[in-house]
Amino acid sequence: MKILENLTKINRRYIFLMVAVAVIVPLIIPMNLPTIPGKYTIKLYDFIDKIPPQSQPVVIAADYSPSMMPELQPMLESIIRHCFAKKVRVIVLTLDPNGAALSEAALKKIAPEYDAVYGRDYAFLGFKPGSSIVMMSIGENIRQAFPADFYGKSLDSLPMMANVRNYADIPIVVSIAGSAITQSWIAYAGTRYHANVGSGCTAVSTADYYPFLQSGQLVGLLNGMKGASEYEYLNQKNGYSKAPRVAGKGMDAVSIVHLLLMAFIIIGNVGYLVARHNQSKKQGA
Amino acid sequence: MRQKIPGLLLVLFWASLSLALPARQEPVTAEPAAAVAPAPEVKAGDTPNDGGKAITVTWQASPDEARGLVDGYEVLRSETAEGEFSKVGYVPYGFTSFDDQEVPQNARDYFYQVKTVGRGAAAFTLSAVSNPAQAREQWFNTARVNALISCILFTLIVVIFITRAKRGQSLFIRRIAGLAAVEEAVGRATEMGRPILYVPGLSSITDVATIAALNILGQVAKKAAEYDTPLLVPNRDPVVFTVAQEIVKSAYAEVGRPDAYNHDSVFYLTDSQMGFASGVDGIMAREKPATNFFLGMFWAESLILAETGAATGAIQIAGTDAISQLPFFITACDYTLIGEELYAASAYLSKEPMLLGTMKGQDWSKALIVFLLLAGLATALIAPGTRDFILKILKVG
Amino acid sequence: MKRQIPLIIVLTLGIVFFIQFFIPSQISTNIYQTTLQWEIVISAFAIVLAIGSLINHHMLKIQRRKPHWWNSIVTLIAMLVMALLGILGRVEGMESLGQLYRTLFLYVQAPMDSAMFAILAFYMASAAYRAFRARSQEAALLLISGFIIMLGVVPFGSLLWSKIPDIAEWIMMVPNMAAKRGILFGVGLGMTATSLKIILGIERSWLGGGGK
Repeated sequence: MKILENLTKINRRYIFLMVAVAVIVPLIIPMNLPTIPGKYTIKLYDFIDKIPPQSQPVVIAADYSPSMMPELQPMLESIIRHCFAKKVRVIVLTLDPNGAALSEAALKKIAPEYDAVYGRDYAFLGFKPGSSIVMMSIGENIRQAFPADFYGKSLDSLPMMANVRNYADIPIVVSIAGSAITQSWIAYAGTRYHANVGSGCTAVSTADYYPFLQSGQLVGLLNGMKGASEYEYLNQKNGYSKAPRVAGKGMDAVSIVHLLLMAFIIIGNVGYLVARHNQSKKQGA
Repeated sequence: MRQKIPGLLLVLFWASLSLALPARQEPVTAEPAAAVAPAPEVKAGDTPNDGGKAITVTWQASPDEARGLVDGYEVLRSETAEGEFSKVGYVPYGFTSFDDQEVPQNARDYFYQVKTVGRGAAAFTLSAVSNPAQAREQWFNTARVNALISCILFTLIVVIFITRAKRGQSLFIRRIAGLAAVEEAVGRATEMGRPILYVPGLSSITDVATIAALNILGQVAKKAAEYDTPLLVPNRDPVVFTVAQEIVKSAYAEVGRPDAYNHDSVFYLTDSQMGFASGVDGIMAREKPATNFFLGMFWAESLILAETGAATGAIQIAGTDAISQLPFFITACDYTLIGEELYAASAYLSKEPMLLGTMKGQDWSKALIVFLLLAGLATALIAPGTRDFILKILKVG
Repeated sequence: MKRQIPLIIVLTLGIVFFIQFFIPSQISTNIYQTTLQWEIVISAFAIVLAIGSLINHHMLKIQRRKPHWWNSIVTLIAMLVMALLGILGRVEGMESLGQLYRTLFLYVQAPMDSAMFAILAFYMASAAYRAFRARSQEAALLLISGFIIMLGVVPFGSLLWSKIPDIAEWIMMVPNMAAKRGILFGVGLGMTATSLKIILGIERSWLGGGGK
């Protein structure tokens, strides 16, 4: 019984050590835990999947900085892979000053894997300050917000942009962000200009977006590392991607840490209940 | 500027077009067969509740909108009914109004026309010209009458309770454990001969939570001065830092111990959120304060601060209105002030009748809100049609 | 007198801006915009004071050889280097210094920030272990809902029972949201009352203790 009582007094250094192990080991040795896509991931995936090839482009707004990269970059990469594999055109832009380098790196890495050609299959518009003002001017004409792409080429010189004027020609805007900027996309692009909006957000901010899913203002939602891993899984299952699953690996660690947390809570409670039981017995005697 | 070029081109294009065509022709017949039906009933009027120089234009949706043929509506303005109309804005389909915020002059007639833009490049149709409208400046925002009434009502309730308190009527305030512990927490630091750490949140002075935290700092500093216990107040915001410094200094003077005030006890750390967290963690690890106060606005660093404090064995009192951080403080601190308890702290600690009066007023106002909530719910359930009306009177413009 | 002046300023400006809220006219908006600009100017002055405090605080530590005083040297040097690189990097012909500034920012400060943020995971584990105990019926209820939410975000949840993610979502959407809104009502009223108390001069703690 004494051992059980001691369960309430595990030194926090051991707890830290175990958390570290639970994070590091799955990253080194992938466990490939099963992935069961959630309904909002499937909704977003299916929406993009149904866009006809070589037609109107998807807009991905990668509005995040390096500190949110672990959760959000895999989302961006998976959606780009999905689009390239299905020959769906992609426009990537960012309203975060630190976002341009990240999204450009993703495009440069993935385009060769699918023989995607710049200007025909995808365009990179880079960073533009002004957030909601930019969103609104895309509603009139995307050329007003971005007269030229990231590399200084006029949008009209890119063949894929020929029939793209505003949100009416964009089947969906996917906002990948860890800040409240997604709410602006919903308000301006969605409510005001009737665009379909999808979201990829960090796990901590997910709770803020449930109301928009309920009201139908969001087509679908990728919830942090979990959502990214589910999207990667759907890509692989349908043969759209052979790339290693970065978020899947991360999700192994996240799952194990969650289990470890639950285990700690159970251990702590068992110890606590035993101690309380013993104490009341002592008081009874 | 570059963004305006396409708009300018459109205006020029339209100007040349309007020169080439008779100004007030019947739009439907004049356009090619593919043109969409015009927007009927175009009306213009002063935009209400503003500083002038704005006119609101409304119209009915084009009959073709329901058939999915309409892309949006362009709004055009002119100084005369026959004159040259130029584009002032564009709204997509589904919208039937536009606020022209760039009207050149108040109290002057302007005319509007709405151009229905069809899907596909060339198809568009002009509406009839609107009535003349003038922009005017208003001196009272009628959309905020509800806010004014509730402010007056709230102030009245508070004043009633303050007068009652002044008359010496005793007011019952429930015990708030976190605040009752303040005295004990300061005493503990004195006994142990260790400092008190006080973090007034990470937000700026514009946050009311920061102001509440600074109010409590005044009380804590007074007690620290009385007991001669060292106080450490690290800051993240420069303005909050200067105010905090002044408050602590005055508190020492107030209890007649200005000489005991150490100018270096209130200091500025850094603007970086995580940098601040690591700085405060370092202070806790080195100085081992006996008591930690985390009051005000906190974000993701809340648990990083509170867990370190718990590990150093300090007694911890936290308080914030950042709802998402409350669970972290509740788990890691001994006492947590939840939401409004933070605002009640100053009244509770000083026991001043006037302050207690405002607290009572607050409680009664809350009871009034709960009553209105239930009444609104009941009305909306019994007569569902009233829902929109209730929402309308509650909306602040 | 020293007491009266701030109280008069607060009362006057408080009432002026309360009235301003209800007047949309051009003059009223201009007054509001101007004060917002003043606010920026005042903060700029405050930054100077703050930096002064930072330098003073660390110089004292070094002078008095307080424990870990060498850390203060690192702080002062780091501040000086970053400030100089940031300013000189904008001067024409010294762009390489600006590049160095960005490098230091991206490869020193950003990772340190992330590392500090990552500590949260460890602290969450130790806090959950220590404090998440079924001490009462309410605490037990909280424990169970916490468990369901955690199961809802990992694949094991769906494996155990396919309905778990849905239940987790319901907990977040309904009871959680209701409690949040309840707290928000109190917070809103508390903010209004605090502002009113300060404007009317009832609350004087910010002048340094009770004000008696």
